[in-house]
Amino acid sequence: MAAAAAAGSGAPREEEGSGGEAAAPQPQAPTSASGARLSRLPLARVKALVKADPDVTLAGQEAIFILARAAELFVETIAKDAYCCAQQGKRKTLQRRDLDNAIEAVDEFAFLEGTLD
Amino acid sequence: MAERPEDLNLPNAVITRIIKEALPDGVNISKEARSAISRAASVFVLYATSCANNFAMKGKRKTLNASDVLSAMEEMEFQRFVTPLKEALEAYRREQKGKKEASEQKKKDKDRKTDSEEPGQSLWQKSQEDQN
Repeated sequence: MAAAAAAGSGAPREEEGSGGEAAAPQPQAPTSASGARLSRLPLARVKALVKADPDVTLAGQEAIFILARAAELFVETIAKDAYCCAQQGKRKTLQRRDLDNAIEAVDEFAFLEGTLD
Repeated sequence: MAERPEDLNLPNAVITRIIKEALPDGVNISKEARSAISRAASVFVLYATSCANNFAMKGKRKTLNASDVLSAMEEMEFQRFVTPLKEALEAYRREQKGKKEASEQKKKDKDRKTDSEEPGQSLWQKSQEDQN
């Protein structure tokens, strides 16, 4: 189940305007739209989470940005994996138990066990 | 009373949007499931931070950098995130560079405008005239 779930949610969905396109030959002022696509989660909140760790001294802006982006990818991944469970139950609404099943089934989500209650 | 780190939640609206876009049309998500995913995302960030910090400490650095986070992803068995994250990082760096250049250009334009304005009567001159 873990392998199937991993394969199913392997490649993240391509977003239009996100990084991955070839860079334009001449430097152009980026539009606010492409900027918004880079990260939807507010960096300030992510930074607050990072600072909550007593062992962390400082975190660079790029690190915060990547963590925000990684969190987005994580949300997409876990939502898709949980959906696999709901589909098997022929439901169209994702329930809490679908999430719990996904956490139990997928090795990468083991760190979540016991943290969501 | 100290706030548990898990209480630092990410905005519900954004989380909901990310989930909806990841799932096929017509699929809904219960409030409990959405809130659990939101908490999971916070835990993910905390765990990733801790892993990344280990790499920073190994490198005898006090500041977490991008490569620490990428190493953390591999450590956490989220290798599949590494390539899209690297691409996002490049795009982010380009945008930051563009922003910097744009603001420098704005400053140059502003300076140019000030120079070309008609010099009004200098205040020193006026005070001289007033005294006479």
